[in-house]
Amino acid sequence: MIPLAAVIAVRPGGRSPGRRLWIPVPLLPVWLLALPFLVLALPIFFIACLAGRVKPFRALRVLWLLLCALRTTRVSFEHRATSVLVHIY
Amino acid sequence: MSDSRRQVLDMLTAGQITVDEADRLIGAIEDGPAPAAATALVERPATAPRYLRVIANVAEDEETIKVNVRVPLQLLRAGVRLASIIPAQVQGEIDTALRQHGVPLDLSQIKPENLDELIDHLGDLTVDVDGEPNLKVQVFCE
Repeated sequence: MIPLAAVIAVRPGGRSPGRRLWIPVPLLPVWLLALPFLVLALPIFFIACLAGRVKPFRALRVLWLLLCALRTTRVSFEHRATSVLVHIY
Repeated sequence: MSDSRRQVLDMLTAGQITVDEADRLIGAIEDGPAPAAATALVERPATAPRYLRVIANVAEDEETIKVNVRVPLQLLRAGVRLASIIPAQVQGEIDTALRQHGVPLDLSQIKPENLDELIDHLGDLTVDVDGEPNLKVQVFCE
C-alpha cells in the first residue's frame, strides 16, 4: 500500500526551544489530486520509456514498489535546538 | 540416596506432606534442572532486520549536526528491482564507470532472487566511518 500519511515535527530553535510543532500531512488527498495529472502524463511516460528502451509496464511496477516501500521511513535532523523529523506512515 | 530425596521422605514420615505430594516432589527432583542445551533452544530466534539505519554526527565549532535516517529494507529491495529496468547498454556503461572508480560491480548480476540472502547478511552489518575528525557515521541494520 502506498503511504497514506506523513508527520512533520518541527522544533524551532531560538528563545523557546523544546516545543515541538507536529504537522500531520494526509497524503491520500495529495494522491487523489495528483491522479489526473499522472494519467495525463502517462502517454509521455510511455513514449519516454520506449525512446529509452525501457519496458514501460515494468518501470511502472518498480516505481509503484518504490512508492509503497517508502512507508515507515523516518528522517530526522538536529542542529542546536532546532530539529526536523519526517515520518511517513 | 540424595539429600533432597531423603528430606522428602522424612517429611512424608513426619506427616507433613501426603504421598501424592511426596511423589510429585521426588519426580521433580529426578527431572532435575533443564540442561543448558534445552534452554538455548528455547531462546527466541533473532528477528530479521527490517530497517537500515544511518546516523551521522557532524561537529562544527562546538555545535553538532545530527542526521538520523531509518529506511525500510523493503525500499532496498525495490531499489534493486530498479536496476532490472535499466537497458543492457546503459548497464554496461554504469558497470564500466563503477569499475573505473574501483567498484567491480556487475549490475546485471544483482537479481531480486539473491536479494533476500544479501539482506540477511546485512543484519550483521555495522559500519563506522571516522575518516574525518568532525564526522562520525554509523550504518547498521535493526
